[in-house]
Amino acid sequence: MEEWVLNTIIRGLALGTPLLWAALGEVYAERSGVVNLGVEGMMVLGAFSAFALAQTTGNPLLGLLLAAGAGAAAALLHAFVTITLRANQYVSGLALTMLGLGLSALLGRRWEGLPLLETLPEVSAFTYLSLLLAVALWFVLYHTRWGMIVRSAGEAPAAVDTLGLNVALVRYLAVVFGGALAGVGGGFLSVAYRPSWTEGMTNGLGWIAIAIAIFASWDPLRAVAGAFLFGALFHLSFRLQTWVAPEPLQMMPFAFTIVVLAATARRGGRAQGAPEALGVPYVRGER
Amino acid sequence: MRWIRTVALVGLMLLFAAAGPGLAQAKLKVGFIYVGPIGDYGWTHAHDQARRITERTLPIETLYVESVPEAQVEPFIDKLIQQGARVVFTTSFGFMDGTLAMAKRYPNIIFGHASGFKRNRNMFTYMADFYQIYYLNGLMAGALTKSGKIGYVAAFPIPEVKRHLGAFALGIRAVNPTATVNVRWLFSWFAPAKAKEATEALIAEGADVFAFTEDSPTVIQVAAKKGLPSFSHYSPMQRFAPQHVISGQLVHWEAIYIDFLRKVLAGKYTADNLQNVDYWWLLAEKAVELGGDFGVPVNPVWVPKLQAVRVNTREFGTVSVYDLVMRRLAQMSKTPVAFDPFTGPIRDRKGVLRVPAGKTMTVLELTTMEWAAPGIVGPWPKEP
Repeated sequence: MEEWVLNTIIRGLALGTPLLWAALGEVYAERSGVVNLGVEGMMVLGAFSAFALAQTTGNPLLGLLLAAGAGAAAALLHAFVTITLRANQYVSGLALTMLGLGLSALLGRRWEGLPLLETLPEVSAFTYLSLLLAVALWFVLYHTRWGMIVRSAGEAPAAVDTLGLNVALVRYLAVVFGGALAGVGGGFLSVAYRPSWTEGMTNGLGWIAIAIAIFASWDPLRAVAGAFLFGALFHLSFRLQTWVAPEPLQMMPFAFTIVVLAATARRGGRAQGAPEALGVPYVRGER
Repeated sequence: MRWIRTVALVGLMLLFAAAGPGLAQAKLKVGFIYVGPIGDYGWTHAHDQARRITERTLPIETLYVESVPEAQVEPFIDKLIQQGARVVFTTSFGFMDGTLAMAKRYPNIIFGHASGFKRNRNMFTYMADFYQIYYLNGLMAGALTKSGKIGYVAAFPIPEVKRHLGAFALGIRAVNPTATVNVRWLFSWFAPAKAKEATEALIAEGADVFAFTEDSPTVIQVAAKKGLPSFSHYSPMQRFAPQHVISGQLVHWEAIYIDFLRKVLAGKYTADNLQNVDYWWLLAEKAVELGGDFGVPVNPVWVPKLQAVRVNTREFGTVSVYDLVMRRLAQMSKTPVAFDPFTGPIRDRKGVLRVPAGKTMTVLELTTMEWAAPGIVGPWPKEP
């Protein structure tokens, strides 16, 4: 019994960490009013760049740093298209996912199948850093002036504009920051969770991160719960196959995480509901 | 002057009309449709390697499309034919019905479908199968397990995977009558995160040797990190864990492609006589190979360990497991084979007699196999 509990927690932390980073990034982007469906693309670019640099330098942490840069660069593209050019956010995000998958596959051909000598442990100081980051991001979002500006950009961009603040700049920063976090999440996959590079290795985890951000009501602390719960249940869905039929078990982590997050949503609290201006490009003077 | 222009024009047209087919006949164009990305390090990668080797070997030109969704194969076949392909290979079981429909629409094009069972006068089927190799891997796994539990991370509960698991289990039980194969199903051909968690679950359950069906080296890496050995799958994955990969299964699709296309070039196979052409190629035809790397049937690191385990066999007396593997390999590399893993009497794990004494399973029985061999532990969807 003890072994089961301990093992499930460890597995939950291991898979939950990359999901958490990506989900936190999406929380910030969406809080500022920009949907970014390109998480999968940003993560896979992060995974590739982290692996490539870690392989060359032997330092996985340097790899993660580059992953952050790659994710941020990809997100910058999305920000330019959706904030400056005011294109449809959903279409741009989907395009970013395809771009990320395609570009990483193309660049990654010669890295395919190479082993990584120096890896990051799956559960390490980095895990605790991730938890601290989530708490810090929650604090910033709800208890600082910066957080209020980000949230306002997503709820009432006109009000932010009236205050003399630059809505576009706020959104740019939130989206690019979100991309950097998604990149690190992807990088974690290729230097820690499963140290190697394989084309398309994120395999849908980016979409799960988006779902976690939404079902966590765009709250960083609830995203922590969602990510680790999903990670633990995902592992259990294989552990339990001896006793439960595998077909329904496939859905269990998804269904259970959604039910838990939905059931614990605070009614009428500040965390409820999507940001008012989510998905809507801001144009001064238009409502 | 007008008639000069007309004559020139007609002359040019005649020239092109004559040269056009001549140019097209210069090289046979062969199209390949892949279900995954060519960098998947598994099934599609292996087919693409074979395509390259075939192109280097024969006077042909190749085209390919990767990551084709199984339900949308028809427009992609159309595209390849428009680009001049006269032979089209579709390399996934799910392409079967779409390929057959296109074979009927294009009676002059030659089609080849991998791993299926539907044929037409212009469509043949082919498969390079691993079941003999899984049996050999099973012999080694049975000798090396200490906990008596061998982990298997499996893709989909379909006959192909069940057949491989069955041969693996029969091999294990041949040297270790009490060992079990504990199975986890992924319901994916490529899903590194699933493969990772399934392996972790098997490790937690006490499994200490691993084999798998999934198109990434995840299982090998996860097991090696815990110091546990495994068998490579499909591609040469030994380099991912040089100390921990014991052996594995390797494919040479080019053996089939080259043989078939040679016969097409020689005029032996046409779009009219393929109704009964089925390549079911195994060790003897050199379509598959034992090992985690080409030319290395057993990782030298593991040879002494396998030589140290001795078993009593009816056929060879008391021999080391290494010698047993090599003898069985030699027997199965001959034509006709001197040994088949699915030789009766074989009962399934429920005790039902599946292969009577003295009989071996037919290709049709193998390709439709649903029962679980003794020693397999875990869920078995559609178990008869």
